[in-house]
Amino acid sequence: MTFDYHEPRSLAEALALLDRYGDDAHLMAGGTATVLLMRQGLLRPGHVIGLRAIDDLRGITPTRDGGLRIGATATLRAVERSPEARMYSPALTDAFASVATVRIRNQAMVGGNLAHADPAQDPPPMLAALNATVSIRSSRGERSLPIDELAVDHFTTSLAHDEIITGVVLPPIEPGSRETYLKFLPKTADDYATVSVAATLRFAPDGTIAETRIVLGAVGPTPIRARRVEDALRGQPPSRVRDALELVPDEVDPIDDLRGSAAYKREMARVWTGRALARVTR
Amino acid sequence: MTGVAERSASILDQPEYRVEGRDKVTGAARYAADVVMPGMLQAAYVTSPYAHARIVSIDVSAARALPGVRAVITGADTKPGRLGRRLQDWPILCWDRVLFIGDRVAAIAADTAAIADEAARLVEVEYEELPAVLDADAALAAGAPVLHPDAANYAFLGGTRAQRSHPNVQGQALHEHGDVEAGFRTSHKVYEHTFTLPRTHQAYIEPRATLVWLDGETVRVVTTNKAPFALRQHMSVALGVPEPRIVVDAGHIGGDFGGKGLSIDEFVLYHLARATGRPVRALTRYADDLQATNTRHAATITLRTGVDAEGRILAHTSRVLFDGGAYAAGKPVITLMPGDAMLTLAGYRVPAARVEATTVYTNQVPAGHARAPGQPQNAFAAESHIDLIARDLAIDPLEFRERNIVRHGDVDVTGKPWHGTDGPALLARLRTASRYGPSLARPNQVNWWGWGVALGVRHVGRGRASMVLRTLAGGRVELRTGVSDQGGGAHTLFQRIVAAELSIPLDRVAVSRGTTDAVLSDPGVGGSRVTPVQGSAALDAARKLNAKLAELGRSIDDASEIEVTGEAAQETHEASTYAYALRVTIDRETGSLKIDDATLVADVGKVINPVALRGQLEGGFIFGLGQAVMEELRVEDGRVVTANLGDYKLPTIADAPPLRIELITDHPGPGPFGAKSVGELANPAVGAAVANAVQDACGARVMSLPVTAEKIWAELPK
Repeated sequence: MTFDYHEPRSLAEALALLDRYGDDAHLMAGGTATVLLMRQGLLRPGHVIGLRAIDDLRGITPTRDGGLRIGATATLRAVERSPEARMYSPALTDAFASVATVRIRNQAMVGGNLAHADPAQDPPPMLAALNATVSIRSSRGERSLPIDELAVDHFTTSLAHDEIITGVVLPPIEPGSRETYLKFLPKTADDYATVSVAATLRFAPDGTIAETRIVLGAVGPTPIRARRVEDALRGQPPSRVRDALELVPDEVDPIDDLRGSAAYKREMARVWTGRALARVTR
Repeated sequence: MTGVAERSASILDQPEYRVEGRDKVTGAARYAADVVMPGMLQAAYVTSPYAHARIVSIDVSAARALPGVRAVITGADTKPGRLGRRLQDWPILCWDRVLFIGDRVAAIAADTAAIADEAARLVEVEYEELPAVLDADAALAAGAPVLHPDAANYAFLGGTRAQRSHPNVQGQALHEHGDVEAGFRTSHKVYEHTFTLPRTHQAYIEPRATLVWLDGETVRVVTTNKAPFALRQHMSVALGVPEPRIVVDAGHIGGDFGGKGLSIDEFVLYHLARATGRPVRALTRYADDLQATNTRHAATITLRTGVDAEGRILAHTSRVLFDGGAYAAGKPVITLMPGDAMLTLAGYRVPAARVEATTVYTNQVPAGHARAPGQPQNAFAAESHIDLIARDLAIDPLEFRERNIVRHGDVDVTGKPWHGTDGPALLARLRTASRYGPSLARPNQVNWWGWGVALGVRHVGRGRASMVLRTLAGGRVELRTGVSDQGGGAHTLFQRIVAAELSIPLDRVAVSRGTTDAVLSDPGVGGSRVTPVQGSAALDAARKLNAKLAELGRSIDDASEIEVTGEAAQETHEASTYAYALRVTIDRETGSLKIDDATLVADVGKVINPVALRGQLEGGFIFGLGQAVMEELRVEDGRVVTANLGDYKLPTIADAPPLRIELITDHPGPGPFGAKSVGELANPAVGAAVANAVQDACGARVMSLPVTAEKIWAELPK
């Protein structure tokens, strides 16, 4: 397999390359997914555009309003180890620390992780539960997209071919918010999740649940927002969690694969959502 | 003055430094894939997408026309060549039919691997799909497609192939001793259980690598094969080249675990080297290694055992059915079965038994040898069966084993008097060391934690070997061996044996490995052989040198040009026994299990390499743990779907629980200084120990490997 490798120094240069090569170009950040897909013959681009030399895409920085901006070429390991990210939410760094092994996390990058749209990945459910938006650039301009609208199917995003993810923006955490990320790994510590759950929750002063966001990984074609569970809990006391969990198996859409049958994963989605909610309500 | 015995004892008591350690750590160690020859070409293969099909036509013209392609050959060029360790039934390239997904139909030699791969894609093969035999039972059906109709023409090395009851049988055997029917008639209770085991892979780190070139009349081979002299013989028969004209160079090997006794690339590379006049290399990708080499056999095992009212075994029958896949080529044993196919109730007193084992052809990836071939399957079945019987009789599973473990003079499942470990002593050590808690003190109570015990038995390796020891200047000696170290520490072992016996410092003993034209013939690594057989040859060489020095009245420091040949013929049938006690906790909502505590007691005889011995036992445990809880080479419609190490999961160190190891060293074995074997001692029994602990913890009984969380969850009392 042969291809031309480009390493633009600026975003403008990268966008120009994308426009020039169109469908024959493939963007690459850390390459952990791209190289595997190319080795398996699933991806055969004529031009690979490496993004790692673009300064504008780097960095993990608090925003002025108390949120966090993560650049597209921040490595997963950089997020995991970032004091700013840990300060923002320990659950965020937990989710990034759950990916594969340290060798992979040192290489893989946030933008690539999102663009790959693998429904079993760890960061996307947590970013979605934290209500992240994705910053996107093309030669046509700039736009922001709620992260739940990025992945549309297995390994498929709503990005146009001329667009580049430049980063992720996380809004300020509301006072009193609790967050958690749990990953069910029944075989080995080095695996994709059988099911994963990211949850955020905030109590109202009267002790009822003011707001919760629950996002499940590895149990559908994209990360799945358990909206019916969220709706059932809003304004309710935490004692209602047990009943609300019964809604979980119908919210998810898992497949039979090496990590379990669909029936088992549905049940495990219920169990692990319960465990995640127990952590954010206790 | 220090006596010989004390001096040798002190050398062997010190932890060892690996003789090859520095080279491996610095990257200087040369592996087969590191060898580069001027003008070397790279090989690629065209493989079958069908489990069973007739080859209608092959068009290689587009591949031949690709710039950089130097040769494209098909089965028409290699016919009727077939390869194999005992039965040569695997075509070098297929010419009429393909028998599994991944079977090779054409081979390319090109300037680069990328060009070779591209050329492989340009070869057009027309197939006519045939009905496939996808499971072992189907293979034995009356109207099953016969996968090897020309079997009578296949070469069979060393002996004659036994008669078979069905043309799809690779090999079969029946053993019977005692009055089985009478045993069952007088039994208080008779139990029957069926267990199933998946295919697994040896999962060595280094994929296969092979380089072949012609040097005048000589065929030179650089390979990852662990038995170079055997490979030379296999190549000689398959290719019609006399053995002395084949030189095999097998240096450092990056892990083997039984898988690297079979080679498949050398044969086709010989044809490519002949066609091009250039060295040709094949580097296997891990995906190819997982899909198309020699896996551990999948098996279905039915055990039936009768016991008296006190739980003593009176009679036993078993039926073991192994899925051998498309070719039997990977099996070196004369019965064409995994080595320990017949050991279905190993380690117990069995007054009467009838054991039937069969290996069949199917249209699946071929099966061969893997660490303790046949034992993980049989040990899982037997040790689960024993536990189920004990529980039904309300006898504590460890106590049940104490009542039945074979003692000196007893007859075991082989029908022969036991010659090996003192079983009761072993179980007594296990009980104390593990702080085993009698689980039946809490009958019918689910505590979500529990104990599992399992027993394992492995023979001490047998065979013959020789190596040359000669004196060098300055009181040094050199041992020349044909053993390739696959990571087990063979060369370090030889160095320590020779130094201990000669009472000289370790750095005065050099161990060098030679190619097949430069050293005495060697049986290779495998069958738990290196320590007892090749180790004994090293000891014999040192003893002969000592005798020669005594005869000449010289010391090693002023000896000149003495050369002796050490020889060993280790034919003693001796067995080593080991046992596990594991404590597990079960997650009641998910079925996932955690091993809290593990104890292994192993009868190892004299310890020569203390660090490597411990490494073998710990590694064997983790290897067994992988097969116990996660490893499965899953095949769907003949296609391996776990075709990479992201899907074929192996345990990581984070998955390894604390392991307590107790060694029994006071029962000498037939190896040097009383050593036994440990390389295949620890892995087979782990699966049953886990399954038994799971049942003790939560009542769920899993009858197949791997014991996954979902299987446990499905069996949980609801």
